Amino acid sequence: MRAIAVGTAALLLSVASPAFAHRTDEYLQATTIAVEKDRLAVQMRLAPGIEVFPRVLALIDADGDGAVTEGELRAYAQRLTNDLSLSVDGVRLPLRLVSSKMEALEALEDGRGTIQLAFDAAAPRGSGGRRLVFENHHQRPMAEYLVNGLVPRDPAIRLGAQRRNYDQSVYRLDYTQSGAVASTPSDQSWSRMWWWLAVAALIPLTRLTMKVRMGQRRGRLAVVPPREN
Amino acid sequence: MSVVSMTNVRRLAAGVALVASASGAGAQQPTARIVSAANRFLATLDQQQKGAVSFAFDDDAQRARWSNFPVRMTPRAGLKLGDLSAAQRSAAMSLLSSVLSARGYEKIQQIMDADEVLKTTERNNPMFGRDLYYISFLGTPSETKPWMLQFGGHHLAVNVTIAGEHGVLTPTLTGAQPALYTLAGKTVRPLGRESDKALALLNALDETQRKQAILGYHVGDLVLGPGQDGKTIQPEGLKASAMTERQRAMLLEVIAEWSGIVHESAAAARMAEIKADLGNTWFAWSGPTTATTGQNITAYYRIQGPKLVIEYAPQRLGGDLSMHVHTMYRDPTNDYGRKYTSR
Repeated sequence: MRAIAVGTAALLLSVASPAFAHRTDEYLQATTIAVEKDRLAVQMRLAPGIEVFPRVLALIDADGDGAVTEGELRAYAQRLTNDLSLSVDGVRLPLRLVSSKMEALEALEDGRGTIQLAFDAAAPRGSGGRRLVFENHHQRPMAEYLVNGLVPRDPAIRLGAQRRNYDQSVYRLDYTQSGAVASTPSDQSWSRMWWWLAVAALIPLTRLTMKVRMGQRRGRLAVVPPREN
Repeated sequence: MSVVSMTNVRRLAAGVALVASASGAGAQQPTARIVSAANRFLATLDQQQKGAVSFAFDDDAQRARWSNFPVRMTPRAGLKLGDLSAAQRSAAMSLLSSVLSARGYEKIQQIMDADEVLKTTERNNPMFGRDLYYISFLGTPSETKPWMLQFGGHHLAVNVTIAGEHGVLTPTLTGAQPALYTLAGKTVRPLGRESDKALALLNALDETQRKQAILGYHVGDLVLGPGQDGKTIQPEGLKASAMTERQRAMLLEVIAEWSGIVHESAAAARMAEIKADLGNTWFAWSGPTTATTGQNITAYYRIQGPKLVIEYAPQRLGGDLSMHVHTMYRDPTNDYGRKYTSR
């Protein structure tokens, strides 16, 4: 595993006077969400300010040796997903870590570095009006959240209204996915229920059909005239 | 409040004189004039300097090497103004003035002056100052083949792609700290018009329009700042199609603060493009809806159209939101002039 060394960060801090150049007491967490047909891509850019960096480092550097391994970074990203929630049409979707990158510790330590995390999730099948909800409660007391939907490349997907709470920890995005009869997001639970009812109704119907066919087959067999020897 | 040494003021004056002489070069076409200025600057350099200032046009790492951070924190490449002789520096600034409009050039000078003020107020902090701005070329200055001029440092990233008659200014970052200072007895706000004109537009909206324009959430930073190339976010706020003619004219006035940084003919072409999409352009505001007279707003705003993104983001650092601002200017369809180049 590659370790990102602390190096001469303390010395650099004393030489520079970074308080005038960048954030200090906030942990910027900027998220973009790309909606695709079968997939949702969530990218997070995390930028700790110089004052809160030691607290952020403590979250990442599990063994406290002053260096961050790739494994520690991945483990941090996985733990971070416990503070995130992504759902479409009320169905919560597990986030899969796709990649994690972190700039040199000295860059983060003086407030100019970022941690880049990419997650994705399988989008549940569906069409018409849909609703995505993303929540981020990671390190809320020091967090500065940003969250935005990216304009889709697929013309079959069109983003609609975005709603957020004041600190952007809760984000709601309505979008439409063409390919079926449109329905409002609030209709989705009903759509799902009707789908399951239809499946439930089809099971006995299928059984009945099979019985009839078997019966017909038996009947046909029965009427086959005995082969003449 | 500010104290900028007389030497620097004289240097500024010399620069302005050079600009005047350059602009009097006659009725040359803009690209020809810019290429001449670029070649005059290059002619002042020795071989080593020429090597340092020139990058291949396809050098995407250099193309994206810009930031709001001071150069000591996020190093730039190219030639640093502080390392140039007086003649070389004058030629560099003359080139910059040929690429920009008079107002654009003044804005850039004021941003650099703000950094000099910051250096002085920060007990001569070597991280700041007018000397710490870099110039570089991607490709070779040409009237026909695409090339790019980059100029930037703390709170400044001017990326101009020249492709034949086209001059593309996106992506460009401007910022200032302090965003209000005094130089030679004159009060200066490098990004004051961006602040005042946007507030005037907000105040010209009726209640229904304001409800649409004012976002109900806090935006604490640029969304599409450095490192965010190639992203297009979903627009929000009030659509210009729902504005009156007067309000749309005011919106264009705000936009002109960025589109008009580049030289006049490129700015005119860009403004025509923006006007064509104006109905589909959005204005969104987050934060306080008033400002102290003579000071900058402390609110974030964004203007976004199919070919335009402008963000104005006050920064908490330094304690006074009105005194520290970052702004971003992009064209999601044509950053780095990619419509006219293969990049």
